[in-house]
Amino acid sequence: MKTVYMIWKREVRAFFGAFSCGFALAAFLAACGCTFGVLLRGNEGSVLQIQSLWGVSVALWLPVLSALLTTRLFSEERATGSIEMLMSAPVREREVVLGKFLSALTMVVLAMLVTLTVPLWILPRMSPHMQGGVSFLAFAAALLILLLQASVWCAAGTLISLFFSNQTAAAVCSLLLCCALPAAVYFAVMAWVPALRAEMAWMPLLVHVYDFSTGLFSAGFMMLYLATTLFFLFVCSKSLACLRLID
Amino acid sequence: MLEVEHITFSYGRRRVVDDVSFDIAPGEIVALTGSNGAGKTTLIKVLACLLMQDAGSVRLDDVDPLVRPIRYRRGIGYLSERCPLYDEMRVEEYITYRVRLKGERNLRIRRRVSDALEMCGLADVASERIRLLSQGYRKRVGLAEAVALRPKLLLLDDLLAGIDAGQRKKTAALLSAVSSRSAILVAGHELQELLPWCTRFLVMSQGRLVASLRSGEYDREELLRLLESHVAGAGAEGAEA
Repeated sequence: MKTVYMIWKREVRAFFGAFSCGFALAAFLAACGCTFGVLLRGNEGSVLQIQSLWGVSVALWLPVLSALLTTRLFSEERATGSIEMLMSAPVREREVVLGKFLSALTMVVLAMLVTLTVPLWILPRMSPHMQGGVSFLAFAAALLILLLQASVWCAAGTLISLFFSNQTAAAVCSLLLCCALPAAVYFAVMAWVPALRAEMAWMPLLVHVYDFSTGLFSAGFMMLYLATTLFFLFVCSKSLACLRLID
Repeated sequence: MLEVEHITFSYGRRRVVDDVSFDIAPGEIVALTGSNGAGKTTLIKVLACLLMQDAGSVRLDDVDPLVRPIRYRRGIGYLSERCPLYDEMRVEEYITYRVRLKGERNLRIRRRVSDALEMCGLADVASERIRLLSQGYRKRVGLAEAVALRPKLLLLDDLLAGIDAGQRKKTAALLSAVSSRSAILVAGHELQELLPWCTRFLVMSQGRLVASLRSGEYDREELLRLLESHVAGAGAEGAEA
């Protein structure tokens, strides 16, 4: 665990010094803020709870943020050659992958916590209807499902970044995998499988956020997210080991 | 200490290292030389566990990197040809990070780092950001990191490139001191510079080991002439091929 912590710490510090990271975080916060505002205005007078609106507005942009943050994890190391120093050190591939993945997840969680200040702190001060304030606990369930989704996106992005030494190419590929692919599958199902249209009126990933935020927990979906994350991390670790075969 | 037996490595169909065997005893400083494309860097990468050989075996104190990779890698110090470092870090911070990553105990880390900084003449730039350093200083940082944990085997690829004459002498003195407890393999082309402090010379051509000359068996001029003729011959063969 010491090695994982060392790599995590170095990556988190590198994130704070990277322009691309600052840009991605700023864009994420702006996009989430706008989406939350639009959803809030559009659902005025509806029965939707504020934590659901917040959860959905964050979930929409989570894949984009994860893809942008994870691109530099391995691709930068491959471009500069510093991956050689990492691979020649007495560390296991899974420790390297875990340290880098957790650093990206940490940044995503920090960004999510920053967006929480809007419904928890700013809105109650600006809206006369929310003078009583909103409890952080009301958002805990939404935060949990967003964390699970973020872990999947970060694990996928970490894997993609391993295959490229060009960060732009890695970013484009991650965006395609994390955003375009789920959307394409969803719209393909909607178009070509009429039987599922009624059941999938909303995109499942957003439905999960809505369900969790209203207290409808599903252990099955939680396991699915965890298993997908572990799958991506496993493939990433094995791919890293395979670099020794193909240079 | 280091036993290399029948190592073969290919990039696709192109054989880059072909049936190379040699050994290095503790206290030896072995220079690996040859013309460009001879396979020196690839061989060093195989020894540093960055590439996996197609055939043959490597053993460091009877530890096979394919069987016990972590233990093997704990015993080596590696300086890459490109000397990649984390530019955003400061010199001392980087060496501390690497020493920690290599599993050194907390109590010893500070001493290891200060010793390495002192040995490589980096004490005055310890708090500088790596991105601000010249190529020569970057090489020194890479070397300090490689020698910090006193590894059993030091693998130094193109060590002298980018280092000025004064620093080359200091590097030679440093490696002579380090060689008392480590075996050292240095890849490079600077025969004149390597001659005074290397105990053996391995010449590679087209992936094969074509000569192994001990410096004690020849006088300096003769050894230099022999090495130059081997390297030139190897270069000519490579060009013809």
